[in-house]
Amino acid sequence: MVNQKKLREEVNTLISRNDVKYIIGWEKGSYGFKMKPFFITSSEDVDRLVFNPLCIHNLTVYPMLEEKLPLRKDATEDKSKIGVIVKGCDSRAIVQIIQEKGLNREDIVIIGIPCSGVIDPKKIERLFPLKSETPDIDEDEKNFIIIIKDKIQKIPKQDILMDKCKTCEFPNPLIYDTFIGKEIETVKNADYKEIESFEKKKLSDKWEYWENQFDKCIRCYACRNVCPLCYCKECMVDQLNPQWVRRSVNISENAAWNIMRAFHLAGRCIGCGECERVCPADIPLTKLNKKLEKDVYEMFDYKPGTNIEEKPLLSMFKPDDPEEFVL
Amino acid sequence: MQKDEFQPNIVAFLCNWCSYAGADLAGTSRMQYPPNVKIIRVMCSGRVNPMFVVNALQEGADGVLIGGCHPGDCHYIQGNYFTRRRMAVLKKLLEYIGFDERRVRMTWVSAAEGKKFAEVISEVTEDIKKLGPVQKIRRANSW
Repeated sequence: MVNQKKLREEVNTLISRNDVKYIIGWEKGSYGFKMKPFFITSSEDVDRLVFNPLCIHNLTVYPMLEEKLPLRKDATEDKSKIGVIVKGCDSRAIVQIIQEKGLNREDIVIIGIPCSGVIDPKKIERLFPLKSETPDIDEDEKNFIIIIKDKIQKIPKQDILMDKCKTCEFPNPLIYDTFIGKEIETVKNADYKEIESFEKKKLSDKWEYWENQFDKCIRCYACRNVCPLCYCKECMVDQLNPQWVRRSVNISENAAWNIMRAFHLAGRCIGCGECERVCPADIPLTKLNKKLEKDVYEMFDYKPGTNIEEKPLLSMFKPDDPEEFVL
Repeated sequence: MQKDEFQPNIVAFLCNWCSYAGADLAGTSRMQYPPNVKIIRVMCSGRVNPMFVVNALQEGADGVLIGGCHPGDCHYIQGNYFTRRRMAVLKKLLEYIGFDERRVRMTWVSAAEGKKFAEVISEVTEDIKKLGPVQKIRRANSW
């Protein structure tokens, strides 16, 4: 696990710089096993900064959400930078955004943290149903060590890890200005077993499954808002002319919305799993995203968010792309 | 045409320069092809947004066909290459959600291939007749 002290020192030196507006990190939440995103604007805030396996949020969404108001007459543009603390998967989002020219590399400062996996809040709340005070968390090779009021409990990592972390290929940030801690060696490979077994099902079974899932959707668009890669100024779902997706909440529009969301992340989704985490209806959105990730890798040998020089998948082509489906 | 047989609605997005001219040639050469296809002319197959396909299925189409120029022949140099990638991904996604992959199809038809156009339309119509109507994501008030 990362040395908190070192992280705070690093953030402190960074925030003391004149050209850094704020740094986004995590702090303790109000109760229970919850951390929350935290905006550090001065060195007084630094003491509240934490990093532990409960810091699940992908903070790269915040630089994308920043609203740029029109400038006053003789005002000059604020060119100061935004600092972000990133885990391995979050750094891929930044790579992808920079690749798409959504952000300039010079506009952000990245602090990279190696991450050996984060805890699934749903799984841990099943183990500790009572809302307790925020615990201290440590980890060793195989276990998470949870300390609540001096009571130490060891829980095997495999039981409470987020599913995405079990097959994480990139625990170390791919892009950073400062790197804190030791690099983690990994031998894990992307695992598409679940997707493959679902693909083999009958079409009617597949639809039955997705119909049940999409039926739950209340179209709050939390999945879109939390996604670091959904940063269009106006989302297609909000457009009224043409109206791509109607506002009524029924299976037809819900399915259209979910198809649209998944498709717009084809070749872009970096698999941070935030959409599924925030979904109030528990729709398994990673199952859709991962399917496209797999197809894109198989068809075009392309992994989103790994190569900053490459062009985005759907805005380039190769003359020998697969076309056996063309009549 | 048998009366009680299921008559599918097929929406075809044809590019102005090749496939639409190909369809025109099929017509002027008096070739027979099923009347189930509703043609929408687009300037390039690259104009076809994946949401066109989804919206067509919602609004009552049983199948969607996208026609473009042969690779390398695009009037806009590269539009059809982009569509090919896009539709490859979309087809996989729709199949994963439970649509038969034959419902969304692509074809390359040049302006000289009236015969090919008629054949493609016959093939697509046959396939979709076998598959039956789309009930899955049809809008309640579509026709």
